Parts: sequence; C-alpha cells; structure tokens
Amino acid sequence: MSDKNNKIPFNEDNYTHNIERNNERKLDRRGFMKTLVGAAGVFAVSSLPWGAVAAKELMGLGEKEYPHKKITDVSKLPIGDAVEFKFPGDHDDAILIRLSENKYVAYQNACTHLRCPVFWVKEQGEMICPCHHGKFDVETGSPTAGPPRRPLPEIQIKVENGAIFAVRVKRYEA
Amino acid sequence: MRRSFLGVIILAAILMMNIIFTQYMVHQYYYENYEKVLIFGGLNIVLFPLAVFAYKKTINMRA
Repeated sequence: MSDKNNKIPFNEDNYTHNIERNNERKLDRRGFMKTLVGAAGVFAVSSLPWGAVAAKELMGLGEKEYPHKKITDVSKLPIGDAVEFKFPGDHDDAILIRLSENKYVAYQNACTHLRCPVFWVKEQGEMICPCHHGKFDVETGSPTAGPPRRPLPEIQIKVENGAIFAVRVKRYEA
Repeated sequence: MRRSFLGVIILAAILMMNIIFTQYMVHQYYYENYEKVLIFGGLNIVLFPLAVFAYKKTINMRA
C-alpha cells in the first residue's frame, strides 16, 4: 500500500464518491454535442452491414440456386395438410401446404411483420401469424389482414418420383 | 436565439436525418430495392463526418 490515500480526509480518486458539490454531474453543451456526434457515428457504423448485404445481393450472389432439398414424400402429406421444413438455410423456417391433388404451395413462414412463425389453419383455409393475428392468402402469400404489409417469400416446388423438393426462393416483385 | 445553441440544433437535425435514413434503408432492404439501400446507407455514413465538422465549427461559439 502506498501512503497516497493515507491522509484524512484522503484524496478521493475513486469513481463512486466523486460528485463535487459545485458542478455536480455536469453535462455541458460541449459534452452533449459530443454525445450527439457519437450517436451519428453509431448510426454510420450500424448501416455498414446493411450496405454489405445489399451489395452482395446486387452482385448476384443472392440469386444463386440452392441445392434441391427433399421436403417429404407425396404419400405422407394428405390433401389440406401442411409440413414445416427448413429452406434454404438451416435457420430459415418454411412451410409446405398441399392444396389439392397436384397443387402445392410453399412459403418462408417468418411473418413479414416481426418474423413470428406463420402456421396453416386447415379449417379456415388461412395462414395465420399468432403474434399479432396477421393473415396471409394461401394461394399467393400476400397479406390479407393484420399488421404485415409484404407477402411471404414463395418457394418453388418440384415433385419428382413421389417426393417433393424445394427448388429455389422466388424473388420479391414489388 | 442564442448563437451558442446553433451547433446543438444542427447536430440534432443530423441525428434526425440519421434516424430517417436508417428506417428507409431497412425498409428498402426488405422491399429488395438494393440500390436504394446503398444510397441511404451511404448517406448515413456521410452524415458522420458532417456531424464531426459541425461540432468543430460550432464548439467555440460564444453567447
């Protein structure tokens, strides 16, 4: 121990009892403006990843076709039922719905409002997001009720040798 | 209006623009208009040196 703090009253160089009475918790204009500049810097840095991902999409890397992925067998999916799967990545939830003998639709089922998983209600013939009761049209994926404004991304489906494959995610057309 | 508040007002305006551009950027990303994402992201980045410049120009203003 040094004798630095041995005087009474000792020299307070700590961070918990350092409030001076005369300029207690001082926030002057200069400090406030520095905070504002810092916040602008945070905004600038936080827009970098968005720009990077957008540039990647623009260069056509996002257009690549994913390896076809088997979802299920036709015999295991009765008409009117749905099955959930992952496509194209392991964390991209998707749903496949069999509407009739030969009609299948598949969407990435993260709700376009706040990304809750959308599920298929067979009795009502609707796709419903449980979080804020958003509804989607099952034929097109477009929103019909509730907060979501953008359609669900559609996944192209291919049926081959009694099995259903996910081919690619359709581009969104505004 | 006291001149010393000019810098605070300018910086607050810059921050407001930051918020607007960020929201535009995120929305345009989900609408897949990637050119617009780059434009607004670029504007967001340009605003930072602008804020530093505004700070340095106005910090020594008196009364």
